[in-house]
Amino acid sequence: MRARVPAAAVSLATGAVAWELIGRLAGVSFFPPLSTVAVRLAEMAAAGEILQSVADSLVNLLIGFTISLVAGLLVGVAMGRYRKVEAALGVYVYALLTAPALVFAPIFFSLLGDGRGSIIAVVVMYATFVIIINTASAIQSVPAHLVEMARSYGASERQVLLRVLLPAATPMIMAGVRLGVGRAVTGMINGEMFIAVVGFGHIVTEAGGRFDSASVLAVLLVIIAVALGAVWLVQAVDRRLTGWVPQTSRGSQ
Amino acid sequence: MIEIRGLSKSFVGQDGGRVQALSDVDLDVAENEFLTVLGPSGCGKTTLLKAVAGLVPVDSGEIVVDGTKVRGPGPDRAMVFQNFALLPWATVLDNVAFGLELRGVGRAERQERARALIAMVGLAGFETKRPAELSGGMQQRVGIARALAVQPRVLLMDEPFGAVDEQTRRLLQEELLSIWEESRLTVVFITHSMEEAVLLGDRVVLMSARPGQIAEIVPVPLERPRARSLERSGKYAEITAYLWDRLRDMHEEHRAAR
Repeated sequence: MRARVPAAAVSLATGAVAWELIGRLAGVSFFPPLSTVAVRLAEMAAAGEILQSVADSLVNLLIGFTISLVAGLLVGVAMGRYRKVEAALGVYVYALLTAPALVFAPIFFSLLGDGRGSIIAVVVMYATFVIIINTASAIQSVPAHLVEMARSYGASERQVLLRVLLPAATPMIMAGVRLGVGRAVTGMINGEMFIAVVGFGHIVTEAGGRFDSASVLAVLLVIIAVALGAVWLVQAVDRRLTGWVPQTSRGSQ
Repeated sequence: MIEIRGLSKSFVGQDGGRVQALSDVDLDVAENEFLTVLGPSGCGKTTLLKAVAGLVPVDSGEIVVDGTKVRGPGPDRAMVFQNFALLPWATVLDNVAFGLELRGVGRAERQERARALIAMVGLAGFETKRPAELSGGMQQRVGIARALAVQPRVLLMDEPFGAVDEQTRRLLQEELLSIWEESRLTVVFITHSMEEAVLLGDRVVLMSARPGQIAEIVPVPLERPRARSLERSGKYAEITAYLWDRLRDMHEEHRAAR
């Protein structure tokens, strides 16, 4: 047997080689090869531009995503459990899920100014609704016989929610949370590019204005790293919470 | 122990019309009695059991358990479900202790009681397993232990062995008989098997469908404690044959009515 190489490493290496080759062969200024981008990234990091931006952006992401998570879980559980809440809020949630969140940027800008608040609001707009919808469907798809069982043993509504519905719905809720993290990162970048020009968005906007593709792609690399890190974190939490799901049904989720 | 008077229940069917699940049902269950309820599907036997459990509101009539009118689930009754209804994320120990946990019994005490019942149903050593790691028969043993853990006066069993294979079903029937001999609970046991109804029951309640009504109550004058060898007795054969005749008539009436 050959030594096992992790699939993710092979995939990354293949992507890097392809980028390098296409970049060199194409020879266009808007798509520099990976090596050029890497050199530029090292220069930016050495100049201290990256670290401060990472810190700025991560704070926006963290606050925005935390708000999305709390709001998404609360509204999602209420919509999944209570038909009246779903009837009242469903139309708004679906409308806002599909509406391009950036449309609201001018509103946030005028209400919250050009600071952190507006960016966080954009992150929340991006991430919350997918979490709400997944949480609501997760709660609705909990087998009715589990709720009936709990009620037969005298469970209160609170016990039904906390001891049965939430744990049973966790695998599907976490799927929504993973999607939410991805959207929160998108929201963070868009917010930083179009409202308050700070963090990564600031660098991307400036470099883009100078047609400095190497810088834009260098920042993109960092952003991808941040996004993958966030998703990895969520997956680690997911594994802890849903270790009980049998492997056979895990694959079909 | 259980008095059911004039119980009626209807609900909205899939086609939007009202389905009469139970119509004017009267039934008494004696203390320590093992009552089996038999009938074609759609005769409302599960609805009847859930009404006694306090899980479904009724349209009219009343159910009195041990002198108290049923208004909802209560600690005097515990239910065993056809599909086991175990919490897939919880261990055997936590599943068995779940009813006690809901009632606010402290961790140490509920685990001690759960362990004793796990041993009683023959699952000692499986305390830390999760339901997906168990066979159907073992899962229903967990379901029975969970019901017994809350020390009910009445055990309500909804086709508890309907989802397990024939051999396991036979073993579970024998184990249930010996548990009942010792505990002498009042049991209401829903089944669609004539053999099971006769082997287990002191009386068999025969229900007919559309609307769900009690067609007949058949006493089972077989000695206790009961053993599998009863199946070779003439009396056993006679009662199961009679029940099948009645059930076949019901099926034919139903077909003619359509």
